[in-house]
Amino acid sequence: MKRVSAFLFPAIFCLTIAATRAQQSPPSAHNEVVIKNAVVMTATHGNIPNGSVYIKDGKIAAVGKDVSAPASATVIDAGGKFLTPGIIDSHSHIALDDDVNEATSPVTPQMMMIDAFDYQDKAIYRALAGGVTTSLLLHGSANMIGGQAIVIKHKYGLNRDAMLFPGAPRSIKFASGENPKRVYGTREQLPSTRMGNFEVQREALVQAQDYMREWDDYQVKVKKGDKDATPPKRDLKLDALADVLRGNLLVQIHCYRADELLTEIAIAKEFGYKLRAFHHALEAYKVADQLAAANIGIATFADWWGYKQEAWDAIPWNAVMCMRKGVKVAIKSDSGDFARRLNQEAAKTIRYGGATEEEALKMITVNAAWIIGVEDKVGSIDVGKDADLVIWDGYPLSSFGVPNKVFIDGDVYFDRSLPGFGMPYYREGQ
Amino acid sequence: MKTVIRRRWLVVVSTVLALFVGGAYAQDKAIVLKGGKLLTVSHGVIEHGTVVIQGGKIVAVGAESSTKVPKDARVVDVAGMTVYPGLIDSESNLGLTEISAEAMTNDLVEANEEIMPHMHVYDAFHAESELIPVTRLNGITNAIVAPDSKDTLPGQDSFVQLAGNSALDMLLVRDIAMPLNFTGDQRRNSGGFEKLKFPATRMGMAAQLRQAFLDAQDYAQKLADYEKKKSEAAQKTDDKDKKTPTQPKRDLKMEALLPYLQGNKPIVLAAEGASDLETAVSLAKEFNLKFVLNHISQSQSVLDYVAALKVPVIVGPIYEEPKPYERYDAVYSLPAQLYKRGVKIAFASFDAHNVRNLPYQAGYATAFGLPPEEALKAMTLNAAEIWGMGDKLGSLDVGKTANVVVANGDPLDVRTDVKQVFIAGQEIPMVSRQTQLRDRYSSR
Repeated sequence: MKRVSAFLFPAIFCLTIAATRAQQSPPSAHNEVVIKNAVVMTATHGNIPNGSVYIKDGKIAAVGKDVSAPASATVIDAGGKFLTPGIIDSHSHIALDDDVNEATSPVTPQMMMIDAFDYQDKAIYRALAGGVTTSLLLHGSANMIGGQAIVIKHKYGLNRDAMLFPGAPRSIKFASGENPKRVYGTREQLPSTRMGNFEVQREALVQAQDYMREWDDYQVKVKKGDKDATPPKRDLKLDALADVLRGNLLVQIHCYRADELLTEIAIAKEFGYKLRAFHHALEAYKVADQLAAANIGIATFADWWGYKQEAWDAIPWNAVMCMRKGVKVAIKSDSGDFARRLNQEAAKTIRYGGATEEEALKMITVNAAWIIGVEDKVGSIDVGKDADLVIWDGYPLSSFGVPNKVFIDGDVYFDRSLPGFGMPYYREGQ
Repeated sequence: MKTVIRRRWLVVVSTVLALFVGGAYAQDKAIVLKGGKLLTVSHGVIEHGTVVIQGGKIVAVGAESSTKVPKDARVVDVAGMTVYPGLIDSESNLGLTEISAEAMTNDLVEANEEIMPHMHVYDAFHAESELIPVTRLNGITNAIVAPDSKDTLPGQDSFVQLAGNSALDMLLVRDIAMPLNFTGDQRRNSGGFEKLKFPATRMGMAAQLRQAFLDAQDYAQKLADYEKKKSEAAQKTDDKDKKTPTQPKRDLKMEALLPYLQGNKPIVLAAEGASDLETAVSLAKEFNLKFVLNHISQSQSVLDYVAALKVPVIVGPIYEEPKPYERYDAVYSLPAQLYKRGVKIAFASFDAHNVRNLPYQAGYATAFGLPPEEALKAMTLNAAEIWGMGDKLGSLDVGKTANVVVANGDPLDVRTDVKQVFIAGQEIPMVSRQTQLRDRYSSR
C-alpha cells in the first residue's frame, strides 16, 4: 500500500525538527508597534470598530479610532479581525509535571510552586496558541492548605524567571470538600470528613496565630531596644500562614458546595483574613448574595458537571447568575485541554444566561486578572497596561474563534501563519 | 420577536406536557414548523422553509410558499429560527454513568477480563438517567452507547434514542456494533511488576485477541458440524442410523463474536497512534472483520493509508492533546484532513456528561478547515449512514423519523440556544434537573 507522507500537514514539519533540545532566542527589543484596522474589544469600555492600538515599550500607549504613533513604528494590519486582551487563566495546573499535590500532609503552605515549575512543558505553548498570556499555576486540592502559587506569562521558549509575571502578588491555595477527605480518609488519617477538614484548617490557623504573636512580641522587644531578645524559631509552614493572617497572601479556595462556601467565609471572618476567590464554586449560585457581600470572586467552569458528588448540582447558568448578583466571575481551565479554548468556554455564558459579549470576555480577561491580583497590569485594552493582546481568526466568543497572533509585552509569541510551532522566538533542534 | 417566540413555545410546551400527563402519547395532529431556515443536510439549505411532522415522522419538507399545510394542523411560526435534524453522537457512555466518581452509579465496563464481547450495554442502560434530559436540551437526539474502553473487547454497543417511555422505546438497535480497543490503555501493566497481569503489553493484547477470534472460528465450525450432522441424521430412514448428534455446549462469549466474525456487524476499531492503528487493522483483516475506525488522534502521518482503507472514521475527540513534538493544531485539524481525503467522518463525544457539547467540537473543527456543512453532516447523516440508520435518521427528509431541532442560530455555535427538540415527533419538555435548579434559585 502506498503511504504518501502528508507533507502539507504541519505536524509532520514539526516532527522533522524535533530531534534535539529546545533552544531559545530572546525576543527583539520592545519595538514600537501599531496594530491597526482591528475590531478592538477592550473588555472595559466596549468595542472600537476599525480601531488601532499603539504599543510602546511593551505597554499599551494609545487605543482608539486613530492613534498617533511615530512613523518608525512597525504597523501590523489586522485586516478587520478582532483584537482582544490576552486571555487569563485563573486556575491552571500545567507545567508542573504532576507535582501538584504534596499529598503527604493536609497542611503544606510551605510548598512553593516555583520549585516545581516545569517551564519547558509544551502545555504552556498550547495554551498560548489558544490566546492565553497569563496563568495562575495553583496547587491541587488534596490538602486543605496546598501551597503558594505562581503567576506566569506564556513566553514559551524563554528561561524560567523570564516567564514569571513581574510584581504579581502571592497567592495561596486552600481546598475543602471531597478531595482532602478522600485522600486522607482512604489512609485512615485525619481528615476523613468535612468536620475533620475544617478542624485541620482551624488548627493550623490557631498555630499560626500563636506563631505570629511570638514574632510580634519579639518585634516589640527589638523596637524597645531589648538587646537580649531572641527571635522565635522560624517555621516555614507557619510563616506562610502568618502571612495569610496578615493579609499578605491572596487566598484561593477550592470549594464546591454552598454550605462549605459559607463555612469558609465564616472561618475567614473568625481568624480575620480575606478570601480572594472560590475556585470551581459550582454551587455559588445558591449563595451568590453572600459572596457578593464579602467581595469574593469565583473562578468556575462554564458547564462541567457530574464528575463527582459535589459537582452534581452544577448548572451552566452558575457564572451568569453569580455575575448578576455582583460577584466577580472568571471562567478558568483547571486543565491543559480547556486552557486551549477558554474563549469558547466563556462564550457559553452568552448561551446560558445571556451574558453580553463584554461580560463574557471579562470572565477570561479582566475578572480573571482581578482574581490573580494583576488587574492593574493586564486584562483589558487600556492605556498603561501590558501589551498582552490577541488577534483572532473568526469571532472570539464563538465556536469558531482561534488566535491568529498572540502578543505578550508587545512581542509576538505566537503566529498561526508561521510553519512548525508558530512561535517566532522558539526553535527546536538547533 | 424573541419574547413572542418564547411565549409561543411556553404554550406549546405546556400543552404537550398536559398531553404526556394525560397519556395521549400518540397524538396524531400534524405539527407544522413554518418559516424557519431549514438545514436539510441531504439537500441543502431552504431559507424560508416548512417542515410538517405527523405520526412521529416528517411528512413534508420544502419552501414555505410551496409546502402544503394539512387541515387541523397546529402551526408554529419559527421564522428567524434554524431547523435541523437531531444530532447523533457516534460514541457515548450515556445511561451507563451518573456521577463519575461514585462507583455505584457506574456501569461502564467489566474490567476484570479483557475479552468481554458478551457484555451488552442494553443490560445496564439507565433510561431515567438525569444526563439524558441535559443532553437532549442541546439538540442531541440519538447516540451510540458504548462500554468504556478499558478492555480490548468490552462488549457491544447499542444505538439509542434519547426519549421514550422506557428503555424498551429508547434502545433502537441492540448490539449494533462491537468496539475493539487497541490504544495501549487496555494493558494490565499498572502498579509495578508485582501487580502485572496478562496482557501487560500490546503483544499480549494482540495474542489474546487472535486467540479469541480463533476460538470463535472453532466454535462456529462446531456449530456448523452439528447442524450438518443433525440434518443428515434427519434424512436417514433407518432408525439405527438416526443417532442424534450431541449439541455443542453453548458459550455466550463465543456466540457474541459470531456476527462479527461472519461480517454481519461492524467492529469499531479504536487506535490512537499510527502503529496501534496498523496493528489493529492487520488483526481485523486477518479475520475478515468488517470495521469502522475510531479516534486515530495521533495517526496524522498515515492519513493516506487511512483513506485507502475506505472505511468511515469516528474522529477525535479533537480536544485530545497533541504529542509534545506536534504543532498545537495537529488534532484539531484531523477532521478536515480526513474530509479532504474523502473519508466519511462522524463526531463523537466519547463522554456522558458532556455529550451536550458535541456540536461545539464540530464547530471548532471548522476553524481548522472542515466546511461547516460537513461538520453538521458528521453529526447527522454521516453518523446515521455509518450505523445503518440512513433511511430513518440524519436529515430533514420525508419519511424519516421526526427528530428535529429548532434553535436560534447556527447549530455549531456555542452561543446558539436550542428552543425546542422533537423526538419521534414528540415535543420534548425543555426541562432538566439543571433547569429546575436554575429556576429554583433564580426566583429567590
